[in-house]
Amino acid sequence: MKIIVCLGTGGVGKTSVSAATALSLARAGEKALVLTTDPSLRLKTALGLQSGMTEQKVPGVDGDLWAALLDVHTTLNDAVRMNAKRGEEEKILQHPIYKTIASSLSGMNELMALERISQLMSRGYQTIVVDTAPSRHVMEVLDKPLMFADLSASKKVKLVSRTYKFVEAMGLMSVGRSALEVYARAEEILGGSLVKQILDFYSLFYPVAEAYAERARKTGALLRDPSVTEFRVVTTPQKAMRDTEFFLSELAKRKFPVNMVCINRCWLRPLGEKPAGGLAGEVADWYESVSASHRAAIEVVKNEFAESVGRICVLDELPRDVDGAEALRSLETQLTSSDPT
Amino acid sequence: MAAQARVIVFCGKGGVGKSTLSVAMGLKLAQAGKRVLVVSSHPLEELAVAISLDNLAERFPEAAERLFVVYIDPVDQIRDLVETHFPLPMMARAVLNSSIFQNLIAVAPGLKEFFFLVRMQQLAERRAPERVNIPAYDDLIWDAPATGHFLSTLRAAKGFETYLTGPLSNAGAEMHRFFSAAGSMRIAAVTQPEEMAITETHELCEGLRRDFGIQPSTIILNAVSPVCLAEPEALATLDFAGSSAAMQFAIERGIAERELCDKLAVELPIRQLFVPRLAQGDGPPEESDLDLLEDLGHYLDLEQLA
Repeated sequence: MKIIVCLGTGGVGKTSVSAATALSLARAGEKALVLTTDPSLRLKTALGLQSGMTEQKVPGVDGDLWAALLDVHTTLNDAVRMNAKRGEEEKILQHPIYKTIASSLSGMNELMALERISQLMSRGYQTIVVDTAPSRHVMEVLDKPLMFADLSASKKVKLVSRTYKFVEAMGLMSVGRSALEVYARAEEILGGSLVKQILDFYSLFYPVAEAYAERARKTGALLRDPSVTEFRVVTTPQKAMRDTEFFLSELAKRKFPVNMVCINRCWLRPLGEKPAGGLAGEVADWYESVSASHRAAIEVVKNEFAESVGRICVLDELPRDVDGAEALRSLETQLTSSDPT
Repeated sequence: MAAQARVIVFCGKGGVGKSTLSVAMGLKLAQAGKRVLVVSSHPLEELAVAISLDNLAERFPEAAERLFVVYIDPVDQIRDLVETHFPLPMMARAVLNSSIFQNLIAVAPGLKEFFFLVRMQQLAERRAPERVNIPAYDDLIWDAPATGHFLSTLRAAKGFETYLTGPLSNAGAEMHRFFSAAGSMRIAAVTQPEEMAITETHELCEGLRRDFGIQPSTIILNAVSPVCLAEPEALATLDFAGSSAAMQFAIERGIAERELCDKLAVELPIRQLFVPRLAQGDGPPEESDLDLLEDLGHYLDLEQLA
């Protein structure tokens, strides 16, 4: 099994390129799946994605192409239902701290992507294309001590989680030693009720975190294995230089090669005869100026990175009336036919 | 004389140009003689415009003296608080370095947002040295995070009661007073004439209305084509059928953008401000970036925003 991770910042068409990548593999005979975070409405329709959890076979495609939606909340809720102590599921799901964890904890998207990949791995896909959340921090998940793993591994937290209920019952919250001392300090700063809430939550949540961390470690190891996982950067001409530089250096730190950089949404078609004056003239000037800046940006990236990147692929922006399914086919054709650089 | 800086917020989807417009607005105000602070929620090195700021003092010496750009990292604010609270450095370090404390900070609901807002309120109300009742900055421009995070940050101003029992209650009350004062903020919702960006503009306005009873004063449609800016009668002069494929693509793109803007105007009756897509000059990036910022400023109508 292979994993292709598509990295990119917001608004570059990463989801379309990921889906087209999976489509090209499906057309070559593989059973391929694209796991996506936030597809546009049209793409969602094209992929046949209606509801969240189960993966769906993409209709009207020649090949075994599947798509699944990554829904952070549903994935996390499922993990809670699966791993919490019996009877405590609802307490966790209704806990105010849980709501923060689910909605605003940085890296939650990536952590849940790991969870989804591990769910999907057992289902016979030859390749899973992961459309990551549009963030520059997405790779931290590969090396940053996983919050959950960290949490469940921390002896102090275990100790506190277990003793907390006892201590609470005895009304001794401010007494304790070692770990409890830190909490007491934290309380001085953050206020007692908040710290209490957090402790209360941890004591409920840690069986979930432990089970989760185990799976995340396994999936994380696969992502760190270059024989399983490859990385592609998706960008647009305007962002190409900064994004490529950034992701390449981040990946290089971890000794990962970048197999491909896709520069998407390029305006490269020649304008032909230029209309003189009027609004048509302004539109032509606008097109030419955008097109010239795209060409220049692509040139710079090619000069700079031709040697360090396996392949630099340039994709034309599609007209708007091209609908989801047709757009995917066109992108797929461009992906497979574009000259290797 | 106002006792605090006027706060202008640029918010919207990631990648629509909030940071660039924030700095362009800051430069414009500074050139007009105001003292301006641009507050970013992103580390400065990640700003698309960061490179331009290097040459700012050379190109615009007078404006540069009045224009300040800072990044507020809430984690720094928390560190400061801990260090003030525990005068003994060893004790402060022990608390800060403990993984338990770090975990507490990571999951405390709205804590980072709380610290961000407290810091912003302090900056907006900071007094000029030696001049009572004159704010240190005339304008504070908040280059806000993307919509979801922006809304959750504002919610922290409302939900500060969580902290009322703790030592943060004073700061919380000050911050709450500041952000609930009517008209303390002008909000510019930045978007682009593009499906996903506009969907997010709707979510933003809905969130602001539902949770805070406020609306943006302006929707800035950034990087639009000449078709969006054209008079309606000029549209008829475009000859689609007789054009090359590239020209057809451009016309079609322009008209689709225009339709999206018109539809948005009907669905959200909020003043629209159009900023054309401007090309960067041919010079080295740090110089042409500054030209770009200056050019963008021409389109940012002060009256409309304020």
